Amino acid sequence: MAAHRAQWKGFIKFGEVSCGVSLYTAASTSGRIAFNTINQDTGNRVRREFVDSETGKTVPKEQQVKGFQVENGQYIELDSEEVAAAVPEANKMLDIRAFIDCHSIDDVYFDKPYYLTPSDRISQEAFVLLRDGMRREKVAAIARTVLFRRVRTVLIRPHGKGLIATTLNYDYEVRSSKAAFEDIPTIKIDGEMLQLANHIIGTKIGTFDPASFDDRYEEAVAELVKAKTEGRSLPRKKEVKVSQPNDLLAALRESAGVQAAAAPDKPKRTAANANTGRQKAARKSTAKSVVAIPQRKAS
Amino acid sequence: MAHPYWKGYLKLSLVTCPVAMTPATSESEKVRFHTLNKETGNRVVSEYVDAISGKPVSEEAEAKGYARGENDYVILTDADLDTVALESTRTIDIEVFAPRDSIQWVYLEKPHYLTPNETVGQEAYSVIRDAMAASKVVGVSRLVIGRRERAVILEPRGDGIVLWTLRYGDEVRPEESYFDSIDGEAETEMMPLVQKLIKQRKKEWSPAMVEDPVQESLLAMIAEKKKALKPAKKGKPAPSPATQPGSNIINIMDTLRRSIEANGSSGKRA
Repeated sequence: MAAHRAQWKGFIKFGEVSCGVSLYTAASTSGRIAFNTINQDTGNRVRREFVDSETGKTVPKEQQVKGFQVENGQYIELDSEEVAAAVPEANKMLDIRAFIDCHSIDDVYFDKPYYLTPSDRISQEAFVLLRDGMRREKVAAIARTVLFRRVRTVLIRPHGKGLIATTLNYDYEVRSSKAAFEDIPTIKIDGEMLQLANHIIGTKIGTFDPASFDDRYEEAVAELVKAKTEGRSLPRKKEVKVSQPNDLLAALRESAGVQAAAAPDKPKRTAANANTGRQKAARKSTAKSVVAIPQRKAS
Repeated sequence: MAHPYWKGYLKLSLVTCPVAMTPATSESEKVRFHTLNKETGNRVVSEYVDAISGKPVSEEAEAKGYARGENDYVILTDADLDTVALESTRTIDIEVFAPRDSIQWVYLEKPHYLTPNETVGQEAYSVIRDAMAASKVVGVSRLVIGRRERAVILEPRGDGIVLWTLRYGDEVRPEESYFDSIDGEAETEMMPLVQKLIKQRKKEWSPAMVEDPVQESLLAMIAEKKKALKPAKKGKPAPSPATQPGSNIINIMDTLRRSIEANGSSGKRA
Protein backbone atom coordinates (compact mmCIF):
# COMPACT_ATOMS: atom_id res chain seq x y z
CA MET A 1 0.00 0.00 0.00
CA ALA A 2 1.24 3.44 -0.85
CA ALA A 3 2.45 5.35 2.16
CA HIS A 4 0.43 8.39 3.14
CA ARG A 5 2.07 11.74 3.39
CA ALA A 6 2.19 13.04 6.95
CA GLN A 7 0.87 16.58 7.50
CA TRP A 8 3.09 17.00 10.51
CA LYS A 9 5.72 15.01 12.38
CA GLY A 10 6.72 15.50 15.95
CA PHE A 11 6.53 14.01 19.40
CA ILE A 12 3.84 13.35 21.90
CA LYS A 13 4.82 13.77 25.54
CA PHE A 14 3.05 12.53 28.62
CA GLY A 15 4.87 13.00 31.87
CA GLU A 16 8.51 12.44 30.98
CA VAL A 17 7.70 9.83 28.35
CA SER A 18 7.69 10.82 24.73
CA CYS A 19 7.35 9.11 21.40
CA GLY A 20 7.50 10.11 17.78
CA VAL A 21 4.18 10.57 16.03
CA SER A 22 2.92 11.42 12.57
CA LEU A 23 -0.24 13.36 11.91
CA TYR A 24 -2.44 12.71 8.87
CA THR A 25 -5.56 14.46 7.61
CA ALA A 26 -8.52 12.22 8.49
CA ALA A 27 -11.17 14.13 6.60
CA SER A 28 -11.03 16.52 3.71
CA THR A 29 -13.66 18.57 1.95
CA SER A 30 -11.48 19.35 -1.03
CA GLY A 31 -13.53 17.14 -3.31
CA ARG A 32 -16.69 19.17 -2.97
CA ILE A 33 -17.93 20.88 -6.07
CA ALA A 34 -19.15 24.42 -5.85
CA PHE A 35 -21.64 26.18 -8.02
CA ASN A 36 -20.16 28.52 -10.55
CA THR A 37 -20.84 32.20 -10.36
CA ILE A 38 -21.82 33.48 -13.78
CA ASN A 39 -22.05 36.93 -15.30
CA GLN A 40 -25.70 36.99 -16.30
CA ASP A 41 -25.10 39.58 -19.01
CA THR A 42 -22.51 37.57 -20.92
CA GLY A 43 -23.06 34.03 -19.66
CA ASN A 44 -19.37 33.78 -18.82
CA ARG A 45 -17.90 32.64 -15.54
CA VAL A 46 -16.48 35.24 -13.21
CA ARG A 47 -13.23 35.27 -11.27
CA ARG A 48 -12.07 37.17 -8.25
CA GLU A 49 -9.59 39.98 -8.50
CA PHE A 50 -8.03 42.11 -5.77
CA VAL A 51 -8.22 45.81 -6.46
CA ASP A 52 -7.43 49.06 -4.67
CA SER A 53 -10.67 50.40 -3.24
CA GLU A 54 -9.83 53.96 -4.31
CA THR A 55 -7.99 53.61 -7.61
CA GLY A 56 -9.72 50.41 -8.72
CA LYS A 57 -6.41 49.08 -9.97
CA THR A 58 -5.34 45.49 -9.45
CA VAL A 59 -3.02 45.03 -6.45
CA PRO A 60 -0.41 42.32 -6.89
CA LYS A 61 0.11 39.86 -4.02
CA GLU A 62 3.51 41.24 -2.98
CA GLN A 63 2.00 44.69 -2.61
CA GLN A 64 -0.68 43.49 -0.17
CA VAL A 65 -0.10 44.03 3.52
CA LYS A 66 -2.20 43.33 6.61
CA GLY A 67 -3.83 46.22 8.40
CA PHE A 68 -5.74 46.38 11.64
CA GLN A 69 -8.40 49.07 11.75
CA VAL A 70 -8.38 51.33 14.80
CA GLU A 71 -11.14 53.64 16.03
CA ASN A 72 -10.55 56.63 13.78
CA GLY A 73 -10.63 54.50 10.63
CA GLN A 74 -6.86 54.47 10.41
CA TYR A 75 -4.90 51.30 9.93
CA ILE A 76 -2.01 49.85 11.80
CA GLU A 77 0.06 47.87 9.36
CA LEU A 78 1.69 44.60 10.21
CA ASP A 79 3.96 42.94 7.74
CA SER A 80 4.10 39.19 7.37
CA GLU A 81 7.31 38.96 9.43
CA GLU A 82 5.68 40.70 12.35
CA VAL A 83 2.67 38.43 12.18
CA ALA A 84 4.97 35.42 12.03
CA ALA A 85 6.85 36.66 15.11
CA ALA A 86 3.66 36.37 17.15
CA VAL A 87 3.70 32.62 16.67
CA PRO A 88 6.06 30.84 19.05
CA GLU A 89 8.79 28.73 17.61
CA ALA A 90 7.56 25.29 16.61
CA ASN A 91 9.06 22.78 19.01
CA LYS A 92 7.32 19.81 17.40
CA MET A 93 6.07 18.69 20.77
CA LEU A 94 2.51 17.71 21.54
CA ASP A 95 2.80 18.16 25.27
CA ILE A 96 -0.14 16.65 27.13
CA ARG A 97 -1.31 19.23 29.64
CA ALA A 98 -4.27 17.36 31.07
CA PHE A 99 -6.51 14.35 30.74
CA ILE A 100 -10.24 14.91 30.78
CA ASP A 101 -13.17 12.54 31.15
CA CYS A 102 -14.56 11.55 27.75
CA HIS A 103 -18.12 12.34 28.76
CA SER A 104 -17.29 15.87 29.96
CA ILE A 105 -15.86 17.03 26.63
CA ASP A 106 -17.75 19.89 25.03
CA ASP A 107 -17.73 18.72 21.43
CA VAL A 108 -18.91 22.03 19.95
CA TYR A 109 -15.22 23.02 20.09
CA PHE A 110 -14.28 20.29 17.59
CA ASP A 111 -12.60 21.50 14.45
CA LYS A 112 -10.77 18.98 12.24
CA PRO A 113 -9.77 15.38 12.90
CA TYR A 114 -6.32 13.94 12.21
CA TYR A 115 -5.04 10.40 12.50
CA LEU A 116 -2.03 10.04 14.80
CA THR A 117 0.32 7.12 14.39
CA PRO A 118 3.72 6.19 15.88
CA SER A 119 6.29 7.49 13.46
CA ASP A 120 8.66 4.56 13.86
CA ARG A 121 8.94 1.12 15.39
CA ILE A 122 10.69 2.32 18.51
CA SER A 123 7.89 4.78 19.28
CA GLN A 124 5.26 2.11 19.10
CA GLU A 125 5.56 0.84 22.66
CA ALA A 126 4.99 4.19 24.33
CA PHE A 127 2.25 5.03 21.82
CA VAL A 128 0.33 1.85 22.54
CA LEU A 129 0.78 2.37 26.26
CA LEU A 130 -0.73 5.86 26.12
CA ARG A 131 -3.56 4.68 23.89
CA ASP A 132 -4.53 1.75 26.10
CA GLY A 133 -4.11 3.71 29.33
CA MET A 134 -6.46 6.43 28.07
CA ARG A 135 -8.92 3.82 26.90
CA ARG A 136 -8.98 2.14 30.30
CA GLU A 137 -9.40 5.42 32.14
CA LYS A 138 -12.01 6.63 29.61
CA VAL A 139 -10.19 9.91 29.11
CA ALA A 140 -8.97 12.07 26.26
CA ALA A 141 -5.81 14.17 26.39
CA ILE A 142 -5.47 17.89 25.87
CA ALA A 143 -2.24 18.93 24.20
CA ARG A 144 -0.96 22.06 22.58
CA THR A 145 1.55 22.71 19.86
CA VAL A 146 2.33 24.90 16.89
CA LEU A 147 0.47 23.38 13.98
CA PHE A 148 0.31 24.94 10.53
CA ARG A 149 1.68 28.24 11.89
CA ARG A 150 -0.87 28.61 14.66
CA VAL A 151 -0.82 27.55 18.29
CA ARG A 152 -3.46 24.86 18.35
CA THR A 153 -5.01 22.91 21.19
CA VAL A 154 -5.84 19.36 20.20
CA LEU A 155 -7.91 16.68 21.83
CA ILE A 156 -6.33 13.26 21.53
CA ARG A 157 -8.29 10.08 22.07
CA PRO A 158 -7.95 6.39 21.27
CA HIS A 159 -9.58 5.24 18.05
CA GLY A 160 -9.21 1.61 17.04
CA LYS A 161 -5.52 0.78 16.90
CA GLY A 162 -4.53 4.41 16.66
CA LEU A 163 -5.23 7.85 18.05
CA ILE A 164 -7.27 10.70 16.65
CA ALA A 165 -6.18 14.25 17.33
CA THR A 166 -8.97 16.78 16.82
CA THR A 167 -8.01 20.44 16.61
CA LEU A 168 -10.20 22.55 18.88
CA ASN A 169 -11.64 25.94 18.04
CA TYR A 170 -10.44 28.85 20.17
CA ASP A 171 -12.53 30.05 23.09
CA TYR A 172 -13.52 33.24 21.25
CA GLU A 173 -14.75 31.25 18.26
CA VAL A 174 -17.39 29.25 20.12
CA ARG A 175 -20.68 30.49 21.50
CA SER A 176 -21.77 28.68 24.61
CA SER A 177 -24.84 26.46 24.35
CA LYS A 178 -26.06 27.95 27.62
CA ALA A 179 -26.23 31.42 26.12
CA ALA A 180 -27.79 30.13 22.90
CA PHE A 181 -30.50 28.26 24.76
CA GLU A 182 -31.25 30.69 27.58
CA ASP A 183 -34.36 32.06 25.87
CA ILE A 184 -35.98 28.66 25.53
CA PRO A 185 -38.67 28.45 28.20
CA THR A 186 -38.73 25.39 30.41
CA ILE A 187 -41.97 23.61 29.65
CA LYS A 188 -43.13 20.72 31.76
CA ILE A 189 -43.99 18.01 29.27
CA ASP A 190 -47.13 16.02 29.86
CA GLY A 191 -46.35 12.38 30.73
CA GLU A 192 -48.47 10.94 27.97
CA MET A 193 -46.93 13.20 25.35
CA LEU A 194 -43.46 12.09 26.34
CA GLN A 195 -44.52 8.47 26.35
CA LEU A 196 -46.01 8.81 22.87
CA ALA A 197 -42.92 10.58 21.57
CA ASN A 198 -40.72 7.86 23.06
CA HIS A 199 -42.85 5.29 21.31
CA ILE A 200 -42.52 7.09 17.97
CA ILE A 201 -38.77 7.20 18.45
CA GLY A 202 -38.83 3.48 19.23
CA THR A 203 -40.40 2.75 15.86
CA LYS A 204 -37.67 4.74 14.13
CA ILE A 205 -34.66 3.34 15.96
CA GLY A 206 -32.01 2.28 13.54
CA THR A 207 -28.44 2.76 12.58
CA PHE A 208 -26.96 5.41 10.38
CA ASP A 209 -23.98 4.91 8.16
CA PRO A 210 -22.75 8.28 6.90
CA ALA A 211 -21.05 6.44 4.03
CA SER A 212 -24.45 5.47 2.63
CA PHE A 213 -25.77 9.03 2.54
CA ASP A 214 -26.32 10.61 -0.85
CA ASP A 215 -26.61 14.29 -1.61
CA ARG A 216 -29.82 14.60 -3.67
CA TYR A 217 -29.46 18.34 -4.24
CA GLU A 218 -27.63 18.22 -7.52
CA GLU A 219 -30.15 15.78 -8.93
CA ALA A 220 -33.01 18.00 -7.78
CA VAL A 221 -31.34 20.99 -9.42
CA ALA A 222 -30.89 18.99 -12.63
CA GLU A 223 -34.65 18.41 -12.60
CA LEU A 224 -35.14 22.12 -12.16
CA VAL A 225 -32.79 22.91 -15.03
CA LYS A 226 -34.69 20.49 -17.24
CA ALA A 227 -37.99 22.08 -16.33
CA LYS A 228 -36.57 25.51 -17.01
CA THR A 229 -35.04 24.66 -20.39
CA GLU A 230 -38.26 22.96 -21.45
CA GLY A 231 -40.16 26.05 -20.47
CA ARG A 232 -42.26 24.23 -17.90
CA SER A 233 -43.47 26.25 -14.95
CA LEU A 234 -41.74 25.48 -11.69
CA PRO A 235 -43.92 23.88 -9.04
CA ARG A 236 -44.77 26.01 -6.05
CA LYS A 237 -44.13 24.64 -2.64
CA LYS A 238 -46.92 23.68 -0.32
CA GLU A 239 -47.32 25.56 2.92
CA VAL A 240 -45.89 23.77 5.92
CA LYS A 241 -48.56 23.06 8.51
CA VAL A 242 -47.28 23.77 11.99
CA SER A 243 -48.73 21.75 14.87
CA GLN A 244 -50.82 23.95 17.14
CA PRO A 245 -50.39 23.48 20.88
CA ASN A 246 -54.02 22.28 21.18
CA ASP A 247 -53.48 19.64 18.52
CA LEU A 248 -50.10 18.46 19.72
CA LEU A 249 -51.37 15.52 21.78
CA ALA A 250 -53.66 14.41 18.95
CA ALA A 251 -50.79 14.65 16.43
CA LEU A 252 -48.58 12.57 18.71
CA ARG A 253 -51.31 9.96 19.16
CA GLU A 254 -51.88 9.76 15.45
CA SER A 255 -48.16 9.49 14.80
CA ALA A 256 -47.87 6.71 17.33
CA GLY A 257 -50.78 4.90 15.72
CA VAL A 258 -52.95 5.21 18.78
CA GLN A 259 -56.68 5.09 17.93
CA ALA A 260 -58.33 8.38 18.70
CA ALA A 261 -61.34 6.46 20.01
CA ALA A 262 -59.23 4.70 22.63
CA ALA A 263 -58.07 8.00 23.99
CA PRO A 264 -60.81 10.45 24.82
CA ASP A 265 -59.68 13.93 24.12
CA LYS A 266 -59.17 15.15 27.62
CA PRO A 267 -57.23 18.30 28.32
CA LYS A 268 -53.68 18.03 29.52
CA ARG A 269 -52.89 15.58 32.23
CA THR A 270 -50.26 16.12 34.78
CA ALA A 271 -47.06 14.19 34.31
CA ALA A 272 -48.40 11.18 36.16
CA ASN A 273 -46.07 8.30 36.54
CA ALA A 274 -47.43 5.28 34.71
CA ASN A 275 -46.72 3.10 37.71
CA THR A 276 -48.76 5.02 40.22
CA GLY A 277 -52.27 3.92 41.04
CA ARG A 278 -53.74 7.25 40.05
CA GLN A 279 -54.45 6.13 36.53
CA LYS A 280 -57.95 6.35 35.26
CA ALA A 281 -59.40 3.63 33.09
CA ALA A 282 -59.19 5.76 30.01
CA ARG A 283 -55.57 6.50 30.65
CA LYS A 284 -54.82 2.82 31.15
CA SER A 285 -56.20 1.90 27.77
CA THR A 286 -54.04 4.53 26.16
CA ALA A 287 -51.00 3.51 28.09
CA LYS A 288 -51.46 -0.13 27.15
CA SER A 289 -51.39 0.55 23.45
CA VAL A 290 -48.18 2.46 23.89
CA VAL A 291 -45.51 -0.15 23.62
CA ALA A 292 -42.50 0.46 25.76
CA ILE A 293 -39.52 1.02 23.58
CA PRO A 294 -36.33 -0.90 24.26
CA GLN A 295 -33.93 1.44 25.98
CA ARG A 296 -30.81 0.96 23.98
CA LYS A 297 -27.88 2.04 25.99
CA ALA A 298 -24.99 3.44 24.09
CA SER A 299 -22.12 1.20 24.94
CA MET B 1 -28.94 37.10 20.16
CA ALA B 2 -27.14 36.12 17.04
CA HIS B 3 -28.95 36.57 13.77
CA PRO B 4 -30.46 33.23 12.70
CA TYR B 5 -28.67 31.68 9.82
CA TRP B 6 -31.47 29.36 8.79
CA LYS B 7 -35.16 29.21 9.58
CA GLY B 8 -37.41 26.28 8.90
CA TYR B 9 -39.24 23.42 10.52
CA LEU B 10 -38.46 20.47 12.73
CA LYS B 11 -40.62 17.45 12.11
CA LEU B 12 -41.19 14.19 13.89
CA SER B 13 -43.83 12.09 12.16
CA LEU B 14 -46.97 14.28 12.21
CA VAL B 15 -45.57 16.86 14.62
CA THR B 16 -44.07 19.98 13.03
CA CYS B 17 -42.67 23.09 14.72
CA PRO B 18 -40.89 26.23 13.48
CA VAL B 19 -37.20 26.40 14.36
CA ALA B 20 -34.23 28.69 13.86
CA MET B 21 -30.60 27.69 13.57
CA THR B 22 -27.33 29.52 14.20
CA PRO B 23 -23.77 28.18 13.93
CA ALA B 24 -22.16 27.44 17.29
CA THR B 25 -18.88 28.80 16.02
CA SER B 26 -18.11 32.22 14.64
CA GLU B 27 -15.10 34.15 13.46
CA SER B 28 -16.42 37.49 14.61
CA GLU B 29 -14.20 37.72 17.69
CA LYS B 30 -11.06 36.88 15.81
CA VAL B 31 -8.49 39.61 15.31
CA ARG B 32 -9.48 40.76 11.88
CA PHE B 33 -7.07 42.19 9.43
CA HIS B 34 -7.92 44.02 6.31
CA THR B 35 -5.71 43.79 3.31
CA LEU B 36 -4.11 47.09 2.36
CA ASN B 37 -2.27 48.27 -0.71
CA LYS B 38 1.23 48.94 0.59
CA GLU B 39 1.80 51.71 -1.93
CA THR B 40 -1.35 53.74 -1.47
CA GLY B 41 -2.41 52.66 2.03
CA ASN B 42 -5.91 52.05 0.69
CA ARG B 43 -7.91 48.95 1.37
CA VAL B 44 -7.78 46.10 -1.08
CA VAL B 45 -11.17 44.71 -1.98
CA SER B 46 -12.07 41.67 -3.98
CA GLU B 47 -14.14 42.15 -7.06
CA TYR B 48 -15.69 39.80 -9.57
CA VAL B 49 -14.59 40.24 -13.12
CA ASP B 50 -15.81 38.49 -16.24
CA ALA B 51 -13.48 35.58 -16.94
CA ILE B 52 -13.41 36.34 -20.65
CA SER B 53 -13.67 40.13 -20.96
CA GLY B 54 -11.93 40.92 -17.64
CA LYS B 55 -14.49 43.63 -16.98
CA PRO B 56 -15.96 44.11 -13.51
CA VAL B 57 -19.29 42.36 -12.95
CA SER B 58 -21.94 44.20 -10.97
CA GLU B 59 -23.54 42.39 -8.08
CA GLU B 60 -26.91 42.32 -9.82
CA ALA B 61 -25.41 40.55 -12.82
CA GLU B 62 -23.98 37.76 -10.68
CA ALA B 63 -25.95 34.54 -10.78
CA LYS B 64 -25.49 30.89 -9.94
CA GLY B 65 -24.82 28.74 -12.95
CA TYR B 66 -25.35 25.06 -13.44
CA ALA B 67 -22.87 23.60 -15.90
CA ARG B 68 -24.63 22.00 -18.85
CA GLY B 69 -21.56 21.66 -20.97
CA GLU B 70 -18.23 23.27 -21.68
CA ASN B 71 -18.66 26.98 -20.89
CA ASP B 72 -22.42 26.52 -21.15
CA TYR B 73 -24.39 27.31 -18.03
CA VAL B 74 -28.03 27.32 -17.14
CA ILE B 75 -28.58 30.28 -14.87
CA LEU B 76 -30.70 29.74 -11.81
CA THR B 77 -31.96 32.60 -9.68
CA ASP B 78 -32.44 32.35 -5.94
CA ALA B 79 -36.18 32.21 -6.57
CA ASP B 80 -35.66 29.24 -8.89
CA LEU B 81 -33.50 27.45 -6.37
CA ASP B 82 -36.16 27.94 -3.73
CA THR B 83 -38.42 25.69 -5.72
CA VAL B 84 -36.04 22.74 -5.66
CA ALA B 85 -38.24 19.74 -4.99
CA LEU B 86 -36.61 18.66 -1.74
CA GLU B 87 -38.38 18.85 1.60
CA SER B 88 -34.98 19.15 3.24
CA THR B 89 -34.58 22.75 2.03
CA ARG B 90 -36.85 23.85 4.85
CA THR B 91 -37.87 20.88 6.95
CA ILE B 92 -35.66 18.77 9.19
CA ASP B 93 -37.70 15.58 9.14
CA ILE B 94 -36.21 13.10 11.59
CA GLU B 95 -36.17 9.79 9.79
CA VAL B 96 -34.05 7.65 12.08
CA PHE B 97 -32.88 7.70 15.68
CA ALA B 98 -29.60 6.12 16.68
CA PRO B 99 -27.48 5.82 19.81
CA ARG B 100 -25.15 8.81 20.03
CA ASP B 101 -22.04 6.64 20.23
CA SER B 102 -22.93 4.92 16.98
CA ILE B 103 -22.05 8.11 15.08
CA GLN B 104 -18.28 8.40 15.06
CA TRP B 105 -16.70 11.68 16.03
CA VAL B 106 -14.73 11.93 12.79
CA TYR B 107 -18.01 12.50 10.95
CA LEU B 108 -18.99 15.58 12.99
CA GLU B 109 -18.32 18.62 10.85
CA LYS B 110 -19.96 21.77 12.10
CA PRO B 111 -22.16 22.36 15.17
CA HIS B 112 -25.24 24.58 15.16
CA TYR B 113 -27.75 25.54 17.80
CA LEU B 114 -31.36 24.77 16.95
CA THR B 115 -34.02 26.70 18.87
CA PRO B 116 -37.81 27.07 18.68
CA ASN B 117 -38.61 30.03 16.46
CA GLU B 118 -42.13 30.89 17.52
CA THR B 119 -44.07 30.47 20.72
CA VAL B 120 -46.45 28.11 18.94
CA GLY B 121 -43.71 25.51 18.52
CA GLN B 122 -42.11 25.59 21.94
CA GLU B 123 -44.01 22.65 23.37
CA ALA B 124 -43.57 20.41 20.33
CA TYR B 125 -39.85 21.27 20.31
CA SER B 126 -39.60 20.39 23.98
CA VAL B 127 -41.37 17.06 23.48
CA ILE B 128 -38.98 16.03 20.68
CA ARG B 129 -35.94 17.15 22.69
CA ASP B 130 -37.01 15.44 25.91
CA ALA B 131 -37.99 12.20 24.20
CA MET B 132 -34.58 12.00 22.51
CA ALA B 133 -32.91 12.59 25.87
CA ALA B 134 -35.10 9.98 27.59
CA SER B 135 -34.43 7.42 24.86
CA LYS B 136 -30.71 8.28 24.88
CA VAL B 137 -30.61 8.74 21.11
CA VAL B 138 -29.82 11.36 18.51
CA GLY B 139 -32.05 12.10 15.54
CA VAL B 140 -30.72 11.64 12.01
CA SER B 141 -32.04 13.77 9.18
CA ARG B 142 -31.22 15.70 6.01
CA LEU B 143 -30.90 19.41 5.50
CA VAL B 144 -29.97 21.57 2.53
CA ILE B 145 -27.30 24.09 3.55
CA GLY B 146 -25.15 26.06 1.13
CA ARG B 147 -26.65 24.39 -1.95
CA ARG B 148 -25.86 20.89 -0.79
CA GLU B 149 -27.91 18.34 1.01
CA ARG B 150 -26.24 17.33 4.23
CA ALA B 151 -26.71 14.48 6.65
CA VAL B 152 -27.33 16.00 10.08
CA ILE B 153 -27.75 14.70 13.59
CA LEU B 154 -29.77 16.34 16.33
CA GLU B 155 -28.62 15.97 19.89
CA PRO B 156 -30.51 17.21 22.96
CA ARG B 157 -28.36 19.40 25.18
CA GLY B 158 -29.69 21.20 28.23
CA ASP B 159 -32.71 23.22 27.16
CA GLY B 160 -31.83 23.03 23.50
CA ILE B 161 -30.78 20.88 20.56
CA VAL B 162 -27.36 20.83 18.92
CA LEU B 163 -27.46 20.10 15.20
CA TRP B 164 -24.29 18.73 13.61
CA THR B 165 -23.71 18.57 9.89
CA LEU B 166 -21.89 15.34 9.09
CA ARG B 167 -19.09 14.83 6.64
CA TYR B 168 -19.85 12.80 3.55
CA GLY B 169 -18.76 9.17 3.63
CA ASP B 170 -16.08 9.58 1.01
CA GLU B 171 -14.54 12.55 2.85
CA VAL B 172 -13.39 10.50 5.82
CA ARG B 173 -10.29 8.59 4.93
CA PRO B 174 -10.26 4.88 5.75
CA GLU B 175 -8.55 4.52 9.11
CA GLU B 176 -7.28 0.99 8.39
CA SER B 177 -4.71 2.23 5.92
CA TYR B 178 -3.22 4.42 8.64
CA PHE B 179 -3.61 2.25 11.72
CA ASP B 180 -3.16 -1.28 10.42
CA SER B 181 0.56 -1.40 10.94
CA ILE B 182 0.33 -0.47 14.62
CA ASP B 183 1.04 -3.67 16.49
CA GLY B 184 0.84 -4.93 19.98
CA GLU B 185 -0.80 -4.03 23.18
CA ALA B 186 0.49 -2.22 26.20
CA GLU B 187 2.59 -4.24 28.59
CA THR B 188 0.42 -5.19 31.51
CA GLU B 189 3.02 -4.33 34.14
CA MET B 190 3.24 -0.77 32.87
CA MET B 191 -0.49 -0.23 32.74
CA PRO B 192 -0.94 0.63 36.45
CA LEU B 193 1.75 3.27 36.13
CA VAL B 194 0.16 4.90 33.12
CA GLN B 195 -3.22 4.84 34.76
CA LYS B 196 -1.75 6.46 37.84
CA LEU B 197 -0.10 9.15 35.73
CA ILE B 198 -3.38 9.82 33.94
CA LYS B 199 -5.27 10.09 37.22
CA GLN B 200 -2.71 12.55 38.59
CA ARG B 201 -3.08 14.82 35.59
CA LYS B 202 -6.81 14.68 35.26
CA LYS B 203 -8.59 18.02 35.03
CA GLU B 204 -12.03 19.35 34.38
CA TRP B 205 -12.63 20.62 30.88
CA SER B 206 -12.41 24.40 30.70
CA PRO B 207 -12.54 26.87 27.80
CA ALA B 208 -9.27 28.26 29.20
CA MET B 209 -7.67 25.21 27.57
CA VAL B 210 -8.40 26.71 24.16
CA GLU B 211 -7.04 30.20 24.58
CA ASP B 212 -5.11 31.61 21.67
CA PRO B 213 -1.74 33.03 22.73
CA VAL B 214 -1.06 34.26 19.20
CA GLN B 215 -4.18 36.38 19.12
CA GLU B 216 -3.18 37.84 22.46
CA SER B 217 0.29 38.75 21.29
CA LEU B 218 -1.06 40.21 18.06
CA LEU B 219 -3.40 42.42 20.06
CA ALA B 220 -0.50 43.44 22.31
CA MET B 221 1.58 44.23 19.25
CA ILE B 222 -1.19 46.37 17.81
CA ALA B 223 -1.66 48.22 21.10
CA GLU B 224 2.05 48.88 21.25
CA LYS B 225 2.12 50.24 17.72
CA LYS B 226 -0.84 52.42 18.44
CA LYS B 227 0.85 53.94 21.49
CA ALA B 228 4.25 54.54 20.00
CA LEU B 229 4.04 55.34 16.36
CA LYS B 230 7.48 53.89 15.85
CA PRO B 231 7.77 50.27 14.76
CA ALA B 232 7.60 47.82 17.64
CA LYS B 233 10.56 45.64 18.42
CA LYS B 234 10.07 42.13 17.31
CA GLY B 235 9.74 39.93 20.36
CA LYS B 236 12.13 37.06 20.39
CA PRO B 237 10.20 33.85 20.89
CA ALA B 238 10.79 32.38 24.29
CA PRO B 239 13.26 29.53 24.13
CA SER B 240 11.52 26.23 24.55
CA PRO B 241 12.68 23.96 27.32
CA ALA B 242 15.39 21.78 25.90
CA THR B 243 14.05 18.29 25.73
CA GLN B 244 15.52 15.45 23.89
CA PRO B 245 12.52 13.71 22.44
CA GLY B 246 12.89 10.15 21.47
CA SER B 247 16.00 9.54 23.53
CA ASN B 248 14.15 8.65 26.69
CA ILE B 249 11.93 5.89 25.54
CA ILE B 250 14.43 3.15 26.28
CA ASN B 251 13.15 2.68 29.73
CA ILE B 252 9.58 3.81 29.72
CA MET B 253 8.94 2.16 33.04
CA ASP B 254 11.56 4.26 34.86
CA THR B 255 10.43 7.38 33.16
CA LEU B 256 6.84 6.79 34.12
CA ARG B 257 7.89 6.32 37.73
CA ARG B 258 9.85 9.56 37.63
CA SER B 259 6.89 11.38 36.10
CA ILE B 260 4.61 10.22 38.84
CA GLU B 261 7.10 11.14 41.57
CA ALA B 262 7.78 14.52 40.01
CA ASN B 263 4.12 15.29 39.93
CA GLY B 264 3.61 14.15 43.50
CA SER B 265 6.40 16.32 44.89
CA SER B 266 5.30 19.46 43.08
CA GLY B 267 2.14 19.36 45.08
CA LYS B 268 -1.38 18.93 43.87
CA ARG B 269 -2.99 21.83 42.17
CA ALA B 270 -6.70 22.08 41.83
